[in-house]
Amino acid sequence: MKKYEAVIILNPNLSSKADAFIKDFEKLLKNNTFDILKIEDVGRRQLSYSINNHNKGHYLLFNIVGDASKLLEIENKIKYDESIIRHLFISVKEHSGQDSQLLIDSKNKKNDIEESKDKNEVSKVEKDNSVKDVKPDKNVKEVSEPVAEDNVEVVEASKEQEENKED
Amino acid sequence: MSKYELPNKFNYKDINILKQFITETGKIIPARVTGISASNQRKLTRHIKIARFLALIPYTDMHK
Repeated sequence: MKKYEAVIILNPNLSSKADAFIKDFEKLLKNNTFDILKIEDVGRRQLSYSINNHNKGHYLLFNIVGDASKLLEIENKIKYDESIIRHLFISVKEHSGQDSQLLIDSKNKKNDIEESKDKNEVSKVEKDNSVKDVKPDKNVKEVSEPVAEDNVEVVEASKEQEENKED
Repeated sequence: MSKYELPNKFNYKDINILKQFITETGKIIPARVTGISASNQRKLTRHIKIARFLALIPYTDMHK
């Protein structure tokens, strides 16, 4: 029995199916007499260079224990799985047992993004408004929207026409 | 003291520590420049190469 760390980079387009993949992979490991000590779902990350034309990857880390001969069989199956863009098994003397720095970093990043979202909300509201300008057009055709909005649009349209004339 | 942050053990997942020992172009900086021990340099090199394979660190700045 040897201790291994497995790193698997999933196709970012299938990142929503990561949970299903983890279950499948667990089954594959267990069928080959491997024990799983720890699973870390790091999530999507920017790749430092593109692999198979992917710029992002969904990182999964596993701490596993099992026989070296069985590992070859697992690797043979993984090789032809197209949802995996890169994989690596490393034998280690001891599992650290702690969260890896990758997972910690990704958690910190998520927190940062949430904080920055609050700040960005103001600018987002402005963007939303610009989107809304487009939406009423469709609504007018389907459901009769309040007339007031309609008028505003007409006024805007006429303004644009005037500007065009000036040009 | 040393201007480098040295961990108890190098790890390929700990990118921020590894990044101290590569140049902007992605090369591993020689130990004669950084002054870390030969033993540490060997371990460091191994982990940098693993991190490169996993696309955590670039091989070069010329990647497309």
